[in-house]
Amino acid sequence: MLPTLVRLGGRSAWKGPFFVAFPNLREALENNIPIVTQARSCTILPNFVGLRFHVHNGKDYLPIMITQDMVGHKLGEFALTRKRFSFKKSK
Amino acid sequence: MVHILGKVLPDSHLARHALTNFYGIGRYTAHRLCARMQIHDRCRVRELTPAQILNLTAFLSSPTSAPSAPKHPLASPSFIAPGPGKAPAAAPKPRIVEKDAAAQAQASTKRGDPLKTLKIETELKKEIRENIMHQRMIGSYVGRRHALSLPVRGQNTQTNAKTARKLNRLGRYN
Repeated sequence: MLPTLVRLGGRSAWKGPFFVAFPNLREALENNIPIVTQARSCTILPNFVGLRFHVHNGKDYLPIMITQDMVGHKLGEFALTRKRFSFKKSK
Repeated sequence: MVHILGKVLPDSHLARHALTNFYGIGRYTAHRLCARMQIHDRCRVRELTPAQILNLTAFLSSPTSAPSAPKHPLASPSFIAPGPGKAPAAAPKPRIVEKDAAAQAQASTKRGDPLKTLKIETELKKEIRENIMHQRMIGSYVGRRHALSLPVRGQNTQTNAKTARKLNRLGRYN
């Protein structure tokens, strides 16, 4: 397989990775303010490393710290949308 | 019986089917491998020559460092066969050759040479294990599902999910 396709997950190379332009990116990096977002499909770019995100999981915003290894993945991969079933005995 | 890298290839099997006994070699790769080693399509394992077996062993022990396929350049479109007074007959032929060459080049760029980046057996298993561990380390959904031995790609889990319970482990192939 072509390496570009691997990085982009099958997306055409000329489009580049899908990402959302966060207007407050620089400010967040300087002041260590978490970016609150619902853009789960946004690819983690190299310049996001070190940022903190609060990613929506459909209900809450879950905190994520971006590390170097996460580059190329999506923000949504790190905010679980499902709750593990646990049986509650009714009275 | 032919032994290659500790694998037994049964005598009665076709060579290109027997090669799929290796983890990481499917039908397509086996076919390419046979083409590289100049093993014909209907060749059984018992008919392999010692030189071919030696070649296969050498290639499979280190596919990445093996020498690439020899290139046999095709005749140029303007090529005229050197014959005593039979030059005109060669004129229409080169066009077909040119088309074939273009098609071949296209095919090779589309799928690439599978033998160049071939990984088999322990090397491939190690790569798979590392990929799973990478997902687990960064704490992604895929890694968590592997840790729980559950399906990764959204399959149902109310029933079944038996393959995932069997295979989805952090230490896969350990």
